[in-house]
Amino acid sequence: MSNFGDIVVIADQIQNDLRPITFELLGAAQTLAEKLDVKVRALVMGHNLGNIPQELIHNGADSVYVVDQPELAEYTTLTYRRAAISVIESFEKPPHIAICGATTLGRDLAPRIASHFETGLTADCTELDIGDYQHKGKADPSKVGTYENCLYAIRPSFGESLKARIVGPWKTPQMATARTGALIPFATDTTRTGDITPITVKFEESDFRVKVVETVREVSDAMDLIQAKVIVSGGFGLGGPEGFDVVKDLASAFKESAVGSSRKAVDSGWIPYSHQVGQTGKTVRPVLYIALGISGAIQHRVGMSNSSTIIAVNKDEKAPIFQFAHYGIVGDLYEIAPLLKEQFKKSIAS
Amino acid sequence: MVNGYKMAVLIKQVPDTSSAAGVNPDGTVDRARAKRMINPFDKYALQKAIETRAAHGGEIIVISMGPPPAMEVLVEALEYGADAGYLLSDRRLAASDTLATAYALYKAVVYLKDVDIVFTGLQTTDGDTAQTGPQIAERLDVAQITYCETMEIVDGRIHASRIIDGGIQKLETAAPALITVANSASALEHKKFANVHKVKALSRDKAEKEKRIKTINLDDIGAEPERVGLLGSPTVVGKTWKLGEKGGSCQLFKGDKPSHEVELLVDALKGGDTGVEEYVA
Repeated sequence: MSNFGDIVVIADQIQNDLRPITFELLGAAQTLAEKLDVKVRALVMGHNLGNIPQELIHNGADSVYVVDQPELAEYTTLTYRRAAISVIESFEKPPHIAICGATTLGRDLAPRIASHFETGLTADCTELDIGDYQHKGKADPSKVGTYENCLYAIRPSFGESLKARIVGPWKTPQMATARTGALIPFATDTTRTGDITPITVKFEESDFRVKVVETVREVSDAMDLIQAKVIVSGGFGLGGPEGFDVVKDLASAFKESAVGSSRKAVDSGWIPYSHQVGQTGKTVRPVLYIALGISGAIQHRVGMSNSSTIIAVNKDEKAPIFQFAHYGIVGDLYEIAPLLKEQFKKSIAS
Repeated sequence: MVNGYKMAVLIKQVPDTSSAAGVNPDGTVDRARAKRMINPFDKYALQKAIETRAAHGGEIIVISMGPPPAMEVLVEALEYGADAGYLLSDRRLAASDTLATAYALYKAVVYLKDVDIVFTGLQTTDGDTAQTGPQIAERLDVAQITYCETMEIVDGRIHASRIIDGGIQKLETAAPALITVANSASALEHKKFANVHKVKALSRDKAEKEKRIKTINLDDIGAEPERVGLLGSPTVVGKTWKLGEKGGSCQLFKGDKPSHEVELLVDALKGGDTGVEEYVA
């Protein structure tokens, strides 16, 4: 057996809806665990979790720690923080690694846990690996040396053209959040078995400082950007908020489609932030990405350049987006978008 | 509580990547040549503070951690209507990761004494981590609302909505709290900041500026030097590498007959084994 602590995956669930990132985290964790010769422990918090612990075992967890209490029915930072820290502190050996989704849950929770343990946390990773690290920095001579079996937390840095490998071997758990869609999920195996350990957490009065008044899920009409297979996005070239009518109309020509936006359109107040694709928005990789009136600044490119097929419509032939789109049309998007809709229907659907 | 809320808004100066200046052809940023700007999310944070002060009274203090040029964003924040600013500038802060940065900013907030609400942007456009806010909240031991879209205070309770995956969560809490602000269409509405014009001359008025913006260092805020910078950062960049440039392979259609171009494009796509066919409604 290895000297290291195990790997902890914090399951990402909203109202008992296990988010896809959980399976991706479990897949990555299994790969890391093999290299370290340790086990993958999933931690799931919520209420009336039903079959979820079993589902975690089937999808790559070797064991599951379950905190199933009414106080956790809705996610709040402080209650989930208390539960996660209590469970991690109950382990006989501190985990070597702990990972969360870079979701609205993970990005809210992970920094609190990392700060509590005074440990390092790398945000929004697109790859995770294990390897050695040689520290040569002279600022602190006590840190100089070679460290084995570090978590390599790999993330795009300042534009997709640079990637950075972040390491932090001095503290445990070594922590990271990972972007949805970046890691390979574990192949579901319903014959897998593993221990499921229920844990009861004692909350403090101060954990209830934030009350959830209501949770509104918009699953019905607005397809989640991250899960959409086709995304039609609008940029500053739309000229105004009404331009998104054209964007929506084109999106309606596709199944499992969603509407995206560049930062500039969001900054201009034309569409809410939740639609923003890019470095400060969401990272997407749909089958088809159509960019209408988007120039293609690095900021945007980072979030969508891994789309399988990119079509760009822009009136400026020199727009950077034509450097990385697969197909481009130079012209007026207001003229071209309806034609695209018509043509897709005519030539493909029929 | 004295009149209204004492608010701290944490702002950062970042390179402006929407401008071509300082962006190398390979996509990396040359910070020395790049144009500088206030982190866009921090403007929304400041706007929330200004709205809160307009409704309930109070004081807005902006804090920025960075090298001397970061003074520019503090001046800009005062032009927008902040009451006072602090530039936390100290060479020992260089190379701080998010945990170390959060420690320094936490000490700065404590130094201001009795802050009711700390506002930050959801994330910065250069670091892009969204971690520093929650890490500060943990050290302050206060409630936090991240991804905040809307907020108002009614009878001393903070009512806020935050973005969650595929929806919205409506929350209620009380000060002290830390709020990280995302932007939303409703929050923007092309509204001008209330005091922008009144204090536009501020950047030229050296005496007024010095009175309202102070530069502070680690000793002033009582921060332990070994907990910031390289010494206090549990993470380091082990290695960076460039990715291969794709590009150059775009099939471009241009001409004076858009319907024809569109036809050609869709035909080209059809022949390209893209899997798009499956998703045409």
